[in-house]
Amino acid sequence: MSSDAVTSASPPGADAGVPAVELHGISKRFADVVAVDGVDLQIGDGEFFALLGPSGCGKTTTLRMIAGLDIPSEGRLAIFGEEVASWPPDRRPVNTVFQAYALFPHMTVAQNIAFGLQMRGIRGPDADRQVAEATALVQLEGMEHRRPSQLSGGQQQRVALARALVNHPKVLLLDEPLGALDLKLRQEMQVELKALQREVGITFVFVTHDQEEALAMSDRVGVMSEGRLLQVGTPAEVYEHPANRFVADFIGRTNLLEGVTEGPSAVRLDAGAVVAAANELAAGSPVALSVRPEQVRLHRRGEAPGDTPCLDGVITDATYLGHAFVYTVAIGPTAGASGTNAGERAATITARSETGSAALAAGEPVSVSWSPGATTVVAD
Amino acid sequence: MPSLRRAKSAATRPADAEPDALASLTPTGPDASASLTPAELAAQRRKRRTGTLIATPGALYLLIFFVVPLGLITVYSFATRTSTGRTSLSGWNLNSYERIADDVIVGIIARSAWLAFLTTVLCLVVAYPFAYYLATRPPRLRARLLVLVMIPFWTNGLVRIFAIRFLLGSNGPASALSEAMGFGTFRILFTPTAVVLGMVYGFLTFMVLPLYVALERMDWRLVEAARDLYASGAKAFWRVTVPLTRSGIVAGCVLVFVPSFGSYVVPEILGGAKTLLIGSYVARQFQAARNWPLGAALSVLVIVAMLVAVAINQRNSANAERTQGVTR
Repeated sequence: MSSDAVTSASPPGADAGVPAVELHGISKRFADVVAVDGVDLQIGDGEFFALLGPSGCGKTTTLRMIAGLDIPSEGRLAIFGEEVASWPPDRRPVNTVFQAYALFPHMTVAQNIAFGLQMRGIRGPDADRQVAEATALVQLEGMEHRRPSQLSGGQQQRVALARALVNHPKVLLLDEPLGALDLKLRQEMQVELKALQREVGITFVFVTHDQEEALAMSDRVGVMSEGRLLQVGTPAEVYEHPANRFVADFIGRTNLLEGVTEGPSAVRLDAGAVVAAANELAAGSPVALSVRPEQVRLHRRGEAPGDTPCLDGVITDATYLGHAFVYTVAIGPTAGASGTNAGERAATITARSETGSAALAAGEPVSVSWSPGATTVVAD
Repeated sequence: MPSLRRAKSAATRPADAEPDALASLTPTGPDASASLTPAELAAQRRKRRTGTLIATPGALYLLIFFVVPLGLITVYSFATRTSTGRTSLSGWNLNSYERIADDVIVGIIARSAWLAFLTTVLCLVVAYPFAYYLATRPPRLRARLLVLVMIPFWTNGLVRIFAIRFLLGSNGPASALSEAMGFGTFRILFTPTAVVLGMVYGFLTFMVLPLYVALERMDWRLVEAARDLYASGAKAFWRVTVPLTRSGIVAGCVLVFVPSFGSYVVPEILGGAKTLLIGSYVARQFQAARNWPLGAALSVLVIVAMLVAVAINQRNSANAERTQGVTR
């Protein structure tokens, strides 16, 4: 595992015994690219786990290795304790909901759903009953005899779910299952999918590049970048305590203020102030201070309460969003902050405040503050 | 007031013309021209005239060298053969068509159909794995391999068939090899086997290309989905790959069966006296036997069989578009 990765102590289902999915030093190399680089991961039984990262980060390859569609170049892979790294996909107790659904266009909805059962030799009334159950589970009754091409995107998505779930897999793998849907439908399906997972109690491993989706749906999130798993934790842990600069920047919006540590409780910002910030790094380490926009407080210059660290700045932009204002504040030497020292660099901070508070205008001199607990020190 | 309304409706036509919106999208609709301005109509006429103009040479050529001879053949098939072997364009009758039911001719047709069928099946069995291999190579290699497939297609067919005749002959290399290995000499030339081998070789490209096109368009994620749903590699192939490449299979079979059935050159060169096929038999009617009406009637039969095959192929590709224009 990468040295800076943080793994939360134990997944929710871990006390039940063997993890549903266990990856040990899993790597995958294609010709000249390392798609996945030494990933260690345990996913608990019954967990809703999201693999999150930008496109090309290796999350889909990781999922495909669990499914058996790609074979790891290195490492061990176990599903409920069984070593499966060299097994073909048809022997593994997992099923996949593919990104573009990959429904069989030459089969009806019912035939698509029955396919997995047929391949395992389940036919006749028993198969019919299970197909009917799965069809009901995803609310597709009455569509059984349609072809995939006659269905909407949302309906196709449900067929893909039913086709996988009818087999009662031990783990369900979902590769950007909502990516092809429009925003409104996607939000509806997020809620539905979450409810469905609770209902069937199957471990879900969900791949997405959409951090909001990952935070909203999953019990735990694994953030990937360039083939490496950077951080694993609950949505709150990952959002509030990002393990490094990439995670802080990728999950939600944040201000990353460059600086160096000055002992275990302070950071000297390049923009020219020393602020309190707990960290475990050696003094003098280059770091960034992550402050979420909604944690930033703005005060008219001189009106700031004395007990919080303050930076002076000037508002350069104010955007009205209906429910909130988003301000861009220039801080540092050029903003006329007190006592410009050599090496200080200008920076900008994005702040967000409810519309109820008094509006500030561009050009207004302000002081910026936050409570010390609201920040996280991140290294590269 | 009326003129004002006119001006307004002209200015806002696209949004205003809700009931006519569909009609104006399809310029061939009967009401479409009514809603077009004179300038639009003139442009449409110009376009149509240009289209007619550029199609004329090709149309003339086909008319003179295809439609006219076809008409003549059809006319001759109803003519009378005089006792001297001349064709009399009078006393129109169906005698030639009735003769098709003769045992000899039915036998020839059946043999031709059987050998064409064998050729088609062999072509399919040989071409499918090959097309599969081609379609699953990296794109650059694919293009090069395709050129290799096409090269024999561009060389003279007659030369190639004579080469096969040499290869299969009783003092050719195949026979020599067989003798050297202790299997004795090899008697294939001038048998139906030789004809089928020759036709498979001659028409293989017609099978490979449509199969290649179908396999190249194949969405391999569907095969992965099948594997994920507990299908073995073989089951995924039969349940997903084969049905989804059906259009290529049918097209290839039609493209091989039709020329095999009417084949003339290959059976003439590789076949013996006992493997008289319909193509050679038709040729004989126009030459030695001097029975043009019978030859013409048999030609019409072959053409009708071909048209049926083409109709099957058309329906097949329409079906394929309906079921496959999906989820991509």
